[in-house]
Amino acid sequence: MAIFLTFIIWPALRGIYISFFDSTDGRTFTFVGTANYKAIIGDPTAIEVAKATATYVVFYVLIATTLAMFFAIVVNEQKFAKGFFRAVLFLPVMLSPVVVGLIWNDVLDRKVGPLNALLEAVGGGSPGWLIEPKLGMIAVIFVGVWVHLGFYSIILLAGLQGIDRSLLEAASMDGATRGQIIRLIILPLLKPTTLVIIILATIHGFQSFDFIYTLTGGGPFGATTLIVQYIYDHAFQVPIQYGLGSAAGVILFMVIFAFTALNFLLGRKRDAI
Amino acid sequence: MKMQSLRSKIAIGLSVVLSAGLVATGLPSAHADTSGLQPTSAQLSAWKGKEITYYFYNDSQAELDITKAQIADFQKLTGATVKLDVIPFTSLDTQLQARIAAGNAPDVARLNNPGLYQSVSLNLETYLGRKYVEEFLKGSTFQVTDPKTKKLIGVPYDLSMNGPIINVDQFKKAGVAIPTSWNWTQLIAAAKKVQAANGTEYAFAMDKSGHRFSTVLSQFNSYMVDKNQRNVLPQSKTRAIKALKLITDLYKADSAPKDLWIGSGTKYASPVAVFVGQQVPVFFSGNFNLATLDSTAKFNFQVVPNPKELNGGGWPGGKFLTAFNTSKTPDLSAYFLHYLADKAQMEQMDKGAFWLPTRNDLVGSGMKYPKRAADMDVYLADTASTPAAAYGIQSVPTLTGLIYNYLRDLMTDVMGGKITAAQAIDKQIAWIDEKLATLKK
Repeated sequence: MAIFLTFIIWPALRGIYISFFDSTDGRTFTFVGTANYKAIIGDPTAIEVAKATATYVVFYVLIATTLAMFFAIVVNEQKFAKGFFRAVLFLPVMLSPVVVGLIWNDVLDRKVGPLNALLEAVGGGSPGWLIEPKLGMIAVIFVGVWVHLGFYSIILLAGLQGIDRSLLEAASMDGATRGQIIRLIILPLLKPTTLVIIILATIHGFQSFDFIYTLTGGGPFGATTLIVQYIYDHAFQVPIQYGLGSAAGVILFMVIFAFTALNFLLGRKRDAI
Repeated sequence: MKMQSLRSKIAIGLSVVLSAGLVATGLPSAHADTSGLQPTSAQLSAWKGKEITYYFYNDSQAELDITKAQIADFQKLTGATVKLDVIPFTSLDTQLQARIAAGNAPDVARLNNPGLYQSVSLNLETYLGRKYVEEFLKGSTFQVTDPKTKKLIGVPYDLSMNGPIINVDQFKKAGVAIPTSWNWTQLIAAAKKVQAANGTEYAFAMDKSGHRFSTVLSQFNSYMVDKNQRNVLPQSKTRAIKALKLITDLYKADSAPKDLWIGSGTKYASPVAVFVGQQVPVFFSGNFNLATLDSTAKFNFQVVPNPKELNGGGWPGGKFLTAFNTSKTPDLSAYFLHYLADKAQMEQMDKGAFWLPTRNDLVGSGMKYPKRAADMDVYLADTASTPAAAYGIQSVPTLTGLIYNYLRDLMTDVMGGKITAAQAIDKQIAWIDEKLATLKK
């Protein structure tokens, strides 16, 4: 409890407090009221960042959850080399996000990257993954999903293995098709686990920063600058604005809190029905 | 013999230019010497067992190796311990600002933007004497002189000079003569010819840096801030647009690594790996990359003179040593800084890491580099022919880095077709005006 209070609650409260001050050096603070919040709302860059973050989170959560479900089902029904495939799926989770960004930066290089070499070989041209704003967003969503997919899949796999096999066998004996088993038995029974995945993916999506920073640096032209980088840029890059960075952090906290609460509420409502 | 004479001339020229170009420093010209400064027995007994932290970044492995060796010697000399914190260049200021804010400032730091730390820097004159400043080239101390008190709050550690480095093997294969003097039209034509002959991905690459691009501006006789803290970019706007267009057109046309520049967002990026990978024959960088290239390049390379348009020469930069006023042992910190910047240690570092000296005694005697002497002579010659106006921007040390970064990001927008070169220069002018106004408040 003491650790939780010291390292989580106190810094969070301190962050909220600092968001009402202006400080360019972290040592002297001037009270500015809600000026930092007003500055963020009136900042066109912040609007662009909000749009980019929303785009990233929506696609990231959708794709990551869908693919994680797919891979969990595939791996669960696999008959051979189960351990190997699970390890391969989980491997990106163990990589440092910074390394992930650097690796994909090389892979996605327009002129000398292996992906474009492959695409060129099949007549797919040389897309500028890191210099075209839309492609940049696609690239960071893809890499974000790639990094966390194994983690989500393993959680869903645990949920799948908790389903009583006799239910599936009974449905099969009653003539249910594979699609019907998945749609009418597996997915409903996995709903609580899926909800956890959606909440985790939403939080991960909003908090994505490290691999994006090394992959695109927030570029091209700010297209992949998400809210955490906005906080980082204002709080730690010269010219430092600790108050503004803290205010952006508070906004991020409120957004994540609202989405998490909404997910829980919708989950409960569905359960009640 | 001839080479020695050339070096002496360059050294004298360098001193003259730096001194003449920076009369604004207003520092005394009489020479002093603290090279014999030794700790007293009282200091030695007080320092024994004490620890100081040295916040350090390096451009090459050689710099790190030499620093570690010098620290080992310093520890033997003083009985104190120096904890070396090696920081990546890209997060140098970010981490340091956070550490200072958290009350965890190091004792000594190697910086490239010392103006940001004026308020927390240690007044070195208290510990090293008023005349210590006179051991360094006048112009080189501009950024480490407190604008209000005129006291020395750091020392110049490396002069730094920008300029092109070429892949000699690729030039030879293309039948293009190694340039001894050229302008930008000739540089670009040569680079494209070498690119075509060798099938390299690019013709030209420049560090993603407003500082590096300022070299081109200077060659077109365009400057942003003068020694009196005035925005002088409007006076050379047409030339600035021309220079900006020259470089950004290379990136737009894929003759330069656009992915590296645009694809790294708002971060600094260096195409050193592109050059080492022989993907580009002309690399516009500076002497700080020479040690890395010397140890990693598997081909012959050479430093060539900066292109000359209206002006020749390069663009001054520099690395600095600063001690912080929060140090618990300020005298030890000041002495460590003095030790690193004394004649013997600086000479060792300059020779081993291809740095340019900032000390009058080393410049006066002419540095004799054991390796790549011809390359270093090019940098020294370019330093000597750099116009005095190029040092003007150092009159606003708290803004220097910001001005460069804003320009760099505008260049990114021009490369991406978001704005024109003319719009970029207009924005830069307006932005400098705004920042200079805040400075005067």
